[in-house]
Amino acid sequence: MTVGLMERAGHLPGLSADAVDWRTLTFRRGAETLDVAVPVLREAQVAELATRVRTNARACLKSRTVAEIAAAIDRAVARLLDRDDPWRQKAERLLPLVTGYDAEMVRLGLTGYLKTFRGPELRKFVAEDFANPAVLDDFQPMPKGGFARAFGPELLLHVWAGNVPGLPLWSLISGLLVKAGTVGKLPSAEPLFAGWFAQILAEIDPDLADCIAIVWWKGGDEAAERAWLGRADTVVAYGGNDALEAIRARVPVTTRFLPYGHKISFGMVARSALDAGKAGAVARQAAYDVARYDQQGCYSPQTFFVERGGRVSPREFAGFLAHELDAIGSKFPRRALSMGEAGSVASWRNAEETKGFADPGRALLGDPAGSWAVAYTDAADGLSPCGLNRTVTVVAVDRLADAVPGLAPYRAFLQTVGIAAPPEELFALAGALGAVGVTRLCALGRMTAPEAGWHHDGRFNLLDLVTMTEIEGSAERAADAFAPYTD
Amino acid sequence: MTEARLVEDLLAFIAAGEADEEAFNRMALAVFAHQFETNVPYRRFATQRARTLRTVKSWRDVPAVPISAFKDLTLSGRPPEECPHVFMTSGTTKGVRGKSHHPTLAVYDRSMTVNFRRRFMGDVERLRMGILFPTEQAMPNSSLAHYLALARSEFGTAESRYFVSDAGLDVDGAIEALSRAEATGEPYALLGASFSVVHLMDALAERGRRFALPAGSRILDTGGFKGQSREMAAEEFYGRLSATFGVPRRLCINMYGMTELSTQFYDDGNETCPSVKSGPHWIRSRVINPLTGQEVPRGSVGVLVHHDLAHFNCASAILTEDAGVEVDGGFQLLGRADGADAKGCSMAVEDFLRAARAP
Repeated sequence: MTVGLMERAGHLPGLSADAVDWRTLTFRRGAETLDVAVPVLREAQVAELATRVRTNARACLKSRTVAEIAAAIDRAVARLLDRDDPWRQKAERLLPLVTGYDAEMVRLGLTGYLKTFRGPELRKFVAEDFANPAVLDDFQPMPKGGFARAFGPELLLHVWAGNVPGLPLWSLISGLLVKAGTVGKLPSAEPLFAGWFAQILAEIDPDLADCIAIVWWKGGDEAAERAWLGRADTVVAYGGNDALEAIRARVPVTTRFLPYGHKISFGMVARSALDAGKAGAVARQAAYDVARYDQQGCYSPQTFFVERGGRVSPREFAGFLAHELDAIGSKFPRRALSMGEAGSVASWRNAEETKGFADPGRALLGDPAGSWAVAYTDAADGLSPCGLNRTVTVVAVDRLADAVPGLAPYRAFLQTVGIAAPPEELFALAGALGAVGVTRLCALGRMTAPEAGWHHDGRFNLLDLVTMTEIEGSAERAADAFAPYTD
Repeated sequence: MTEARLVEDLLAFIAAGEADEEAFNRMALAVFAHQFETNVPYRRFATQRARTLRTVKSWRDVPAVPISAFKDLTLSGRPPEECPHVFMTSGTTKGVRGKSHHPTLAVYDRSMTVNFRRRFMGDVERLRMGILFPTEQAMPNSSLAHYLALARSEFGTAESRYFVSDAGLDVDGAIEALSRAEATGEPYALLGASFSVVHLMDALAERGRRFALPAGSRILDTGGFKGQSREMAAEEFYGRLSATFGVPRRLCINMYGMTELSTQFYDDGNETCPSVKSGPHWIRSRVINPLTGQEVPRGSVGVLVHHDLAHFNCASAILTEDAGVEVDGGFQLLGRADGADAKGCSMAVEDFLRAARAP
C-alpha cells in the first residue's frame, strides 16, 4: 500500500501561503511517498521579502545581544534534541524518507550534530572567532587605541546544497550569531530541515524568526537567483565548483561572496596503531567514517594511507576494514542507490577488480550484493576519489609522510584527515599536511562530526561574515573638545 | 575447437538467418569455451567469478567483462601481435584507450553486412552515399571508419564519397551532392557520426539551406555527441534532421555500436524517441543492476549487458556503462549510467580528474 504524506517547506514571514506558487518535489522510499511543496516566488515577492527581512533584522536583531540570540537558538535546539517533541519526531520520521538514509543513522546523526549547537557550544563558535565576543554587541576598546564593533550583514543569503540532513543549520546559526538578517535557499535534495528550524524559532521567539526567510528556487534558475543575489550584502554558497562559478558570475562586485566548494578527505593510519590490540578498533572507527552518510559529506574519507611495518600489515588492515564495513552494513544499511549511483559504484569496483588481474599487488574486497567495497593497493598510488557510497581504497605506504607530496596538486580540494598516529608524528604530519592545503585533522571515527567552532575549510565561520566599524583614537580625543564638560 | 573451425561455425550461424534459444545457447557455450581456453585474462576474470566450463550452462551464465577492462587488460585469444586488426576506443578521461583485437575481420564484416542490409538498406541494393566521417586510411584503428567503409563498398554506388578529411567538413561538397540528389530524384543516404551531422546542420542553417531529398533517401547517425558538438536531445535532433534534409523521421535511423563489439544495433527510425533498438539473432542483451549483476524486472531501468557471439576473440559478453530498459522488440537506450552527480559535498571523480589536469 502506498502511504502518501504531504509537507510544506520554507518559511516566509509576512507572505501568505495562498499568495505564493508552490511546486511539489516527490520523495519515495519503498511504499511511502512524501510530497514536499516548495515555494516559487515572483520577483515582487522576492523584493517584498528581502525588504522585510532587512527591516526586521535592523529593528530586532541589532538590538539584541549575542547571548540573547544564542539563548533562543539553544531553546530551539533543545526541542530538536527532545525525542518527545513533535518537531523531533517529525524529523526522525521524514528525513530518512527524504534522504534515503537508514532511520537509526539519521536519528543518531541528528543528535550528535544538534549537540554542536547547544548554548555552551554556541559560545565556542563566538569565542573561536572573536577574542572579545562583546565586540558583536557594543564598541570595545582596541589594543591599538580607539574602539571597534563588529557588524554582521543586514541581509545574508545562503545557497545551500547537499544531502546530509540538517547541514544548512551550520551557516544559518553562524549568521544569526552575527545578527544577520537571513535568507536561505533550500537544497532540493533535503528541503525540510532549515524551514523547520525557522518555524521552531517562530514558536519560541517570533520576532527573531521574522528575521529569517527560507526560500527555494530551482538550481540554475538564473532569474530567480539573480533576484536574490542582487539584494544580499553577503552570499554564502555551497556546491560543486561549476555551480559556484555560475553563482559568482552573478553576484554584484560589491557583495561579499563566500564559496564552499566540493572537497576530498582521507585517513592515515600509522604503524603504531597497527598492533593486534589496536588495529581492530582503528578499523572500526575508519569504517564508521566511511559508512556515515554514505560518504556524501566533504569530510568523508575516500582513501586510507596505511603504514607498512606494523604487526598488522596494510593488506590485513584492508581486510579488517572490509569486515567492519560489512558489520556496520547490517546495523545501518546503506540507502537505496539510484541507477546512476549504482553505475558509479559498479564502474569503480569493476575498474579496481580489473587492475587486480594484471597486478598481484592489488585486491578488491567486496560483498556480492555490492553494498560496500575496499580496494587495496601496494602501488605508490596517491589520493583518488572512490565510487562513494561505502567504497574506499587502502594504499600501503612505507611512511605516512611519503603520501604527502602526491597531495600537492589537489591543494584546493583537500579538507579533513582522520588520523591514528602517536603525538610526535601527529604534529609532524599536521605541519606537512597543512602546508599542502589540509585544513582539519581529527581522530578516526570523528571525521563526519566536526566540533563546534570548526574552521570550515580553514575559514572563519563568523569573522568572515562581519565588517568592523572603528572609532579611532583621534575621534575619541577630538570629541572631548565638544563635550559640555569642556573647560 | 580450433579458431578456424569456430569462425566457420559462426559464419554459418549468421547465415542461418535465425536462432532459437537452444541454438543460441549452443553457439554461445562454444564461443565461451574458446575464450576461456585461449584468453588468459578472460579466464582469470571468469574463474574469479566462479564461472568455468563446468559451471557455465547457459549463455546467461557467461560472465560479462566491464568495458573499462578493455583499457586495462589485453583481452585477446590470439596473441595481439598476430592480430592484424585492432580497433580502439576514441579515448577517455584518463587518455587510455580500450582495444579490441581481431585475428580476422571475416566474422565482423559478415555481421555488419548481413545486419546493415536488413536494417538500413531495406529492399534497396545500392544507394549513393555521403559519409560524414574520416576514411579508414585516415583512422585505421576506428571500428566506425571500418564500418562506414564497408557500408560504402558493399552498399554504396561508385559515386559515393566522404565529406570529412584533414581539411575538416566539406560543406560545399555536401551541398553539391544533396542538391544533385534533389535535382535528379535519385535516393540518397547520409551516414556518419552524430556530432558531424550536427556540424553539417549548423553549417547549412548558417547558409539558410534546407533540402527535400527524394523519396527513399535515408540517414544513419551513430555514436552520440562525445563533446565534439553541442549536445542535443534526441527529439530535437531528429526533428531538425528531418526538417533539414526532408527525410521522414522513420528513415532517420540510429545505429548503436561499440568498439568492444562486432555487431551493431539499429532502431526502426525515430518517429518517437527514445526509439527501440534491437540486434540480429547472434546478439542478445540483458538489463541488469550493475552492482548485483541480477537482471532487473522487465520495464525497469538497468545497465545493458550484450552477448555478441561475433566478438569471438576478445570477450563476447560485455557489461556496458549504458542505461537501458527492456521493451517489446528490444531495448531503449537512456544514456550513460555513471553520470550521477554526488548529492553531497563529497567530490566526484570527474571533478577530481579535471583538477589533476589543471595547471
